[in-house]
Amino acid sequence: MFPDVQLSRRPLHFIYLCDCSGSMRASSKMQALNQAIRQSLPEMVQVSQQNPEAQILVRVLSFADQAVWHLGTPTPVDQVLQQWRDLEAGGLTAMGEAMEQLAAVLRTPPMDQRALPPVLVLISDGAPTDDFMGGLRTLMAEPWAAKAVRLAIAIGHDADLDVLQQFIGTDIARNPRRPLQANDSNTLARYIQWASTAVVGAASQPRSQPGGMPHTNVLLPDLPPTILDPKDVW
Amino acid sequence: MFPEGSTLRFSSSATPVRVIRALGGGGQGQVFEVDFAGEAMAMKWYFPSCLQRDPQLRHRLAACISATSPNASFLWPMLVLDPDNESQRQLNIPPGSFGYVMKLRPPQFQPAVAHTAGRLLISLQQILRACFHLVEAFHALHSKGLCYKDISLGNLFLDPASGAILICDNDNVDVNGSELGGVRGTAGFMAPEVLLGLRCPDSNSDLFSLAVLLFRLLTRHDPFLGRLELQIRCFDEPARRRLYGEEAVFIFSKDDDRNRPDPTVHPAPLLTWPIYPPQIQALFQQSLAAGARDPSRRAYTGQWLQALSRCLDQRALCPHCGQEVFPMPGAGGSCWACGGDLPVFARFLTPAGPVLAQPGNELHAHHFDQLAGERLDQPLGRIESHPHIPGVLGLMNLSTQPWQGQLSSGDRLPIAPGRSCNLASLTRLETDRGTLALVR
Repeated sequence: MFPDVQLSRRPLHFIYLCDCSGSMRASSKMQALNQAIRQSLPEMVQVSQQNPEAQILVRVLSFADQAVWHLGTPTPVDQVLQQWRDLEAGGLTAMGEAMEQLAAVLRTPPMDQRALPPVLVLISDGAPTDDFMGGLRTLMAEPWAAKAVRLAIAIGHDADLDVLQQFIGTDIARNPRRPLQANDSNTLARYIQWASTAVVGAASQPRSQPGGMPHTNVLLPDLPPTILDPKDVW
Repeated sequence: MFPEGSTLRFSSSATPVRVIRALGGGGQGQVFEVDFAGEAMAMKWYFPSCLQRDPQLRHRLAACISATSPNASFLWPMLVLDPDNESQRQLNIPPGSFGYVMKLRPPQFQPAVAHTAGRLLISLQQILRACFHLVEAFHALHSKGLCYKDISLGNLFLDPASGAILICDNDNVDVNGSELGGVRGTAGFMAPEVLLGLRCPDSNSDLFSLAVLLFRLLTRHDPFLGRLELQIRCFDEPARRRLYGEEAVFIFSKDDDRNRPDPTVHPAPLLTWPIYPPQIQALFQQSLAAGARDPSRRAYTGQWLQALSRCLDQRALCPHCGQEVFPMPGAGGSCWACGGDLPVFARFLTPAGPVLAQPGNELHAHHFDQLAGERLDQPLGRIESHPHIPGVLGLMNLSTQPWQGQLSSGDRLPIAPGRSCNLASLTRLETDRGTLALVR
């Protein structure tokens, strides 16, 4: 028989940064986000099985009046669903503090010496109410944050797209990504699904490269096109 | 993309398809199980962004379909599907968007990743057979003047019970030498000169990717991840460019020991590499050490077929622990698993080299005729354990012709098709294809 050997793996940290301010209560945005994350988990487990070289570890940081670790322990993806508690909305938008907290966990230690590029997903429906730029500077001083795949999802039209773009990066030549605009629950679910599966897959293991040389340190997969009509519009 | 139950009609085919369910997606598109004229088939539909990036895809796909499948190991595209106006309108399909239909993957075929992830129970014999079939598939593809361009573990499926394989995502196949774009490959499987953008993928770079795949199947490890990887904190595209391109050092390179596996971080290859006989290791040296720099050094498919079939011929079971071992025929040695001494095993002397008379080993046409190419799909004889008496081995005649066995007593014994003969006193086997001696 083929011997039972221990495989070499690198951790891949996947971190959701979720806006839980009071405005997320309106039009069931909070429920939609909880639902989108919960629904994406089984497929995320599949992606983890398809990428045995990556040990995918999930965390969730919520921010309202303060930034609080909602799921603070780096949790293996197959255990997230059973530990999941819904996020609750209420308060201001301490996004700057969230950046500081994130920076603290991407510092080595506690961050691993060797890992795959972290995937950081910022989701917001509004604008920061604290010192966002100060927090972002602290974050981006961390090499792991600079190497991370940083994605942002704007929920509804009140989200501050400039702030989200600052988080992703403004150097267009190196990083042509834009915040993803979700104006209905289906689109939000699709973006969450894409970030937690296709993007995680791309960060774990390289995908087929089209002609031409890559510009970024992780080649991002295309967003699958949507064909369904949006029903509920925010 | 397409809801379950929706029906698509085509301008390129009179037969509509009904979507049964989504099977999964990749970088290029999404795959669905569909009902196509009453038969369950697979349909791949491209994302518009993929078609935009790869304008030659349609041309390649059409060439691929008209070239027809090189052999049965490919899930080959069968028909291009262009939606008609009505389906385009109903399902909101962007103009120019299309797909193709192919056979469904039978359920016994598991993703090769399940093997490299350690989730499959598979014998060394079946993984070697899977390697043989993979090389055979590349051989057939290259013989047609085609090249694969983008093979990786993600395109490969295997049946752990038989060692049969299936290669999917054949829409990157191209005429060898064509420089019409399309994908370049997947980092970690691409030849260094392709990864570095110095050359377009072709059948020669396929030989490198093939060696990488074989190494990963045989060792459950990446041939370029050794100590050099430990110096890299973030394993991303620039890191891959260095490890698989600029500084590609094979972990077991005879001439360069900078990238040996680390015993704590990379235990798998240190255990699995020594299992295989020198002729297999030599082809990896050729393809992955010398061949990383010099494409002309890479082992050809014919060399792999011979080395892999000979490796299967020298498979034996360790008398102490029962594990599969591959000692040099006529020599003893020790078991890689338990360390126990191995005896000199009884073997048939054939024009293609010795075949150890061990359970599960087979005689094929190439064992009788040196000019016959190696094939594993039509065994003529198989060595089997006695169903009730442990330790007793027999040779079963799987051919359609009667054989004769010559025994040590001088007696002769007929072996009818479908019957077995006890190997204990056999000294010679006479068949319509030739005579083989059994030596101990």
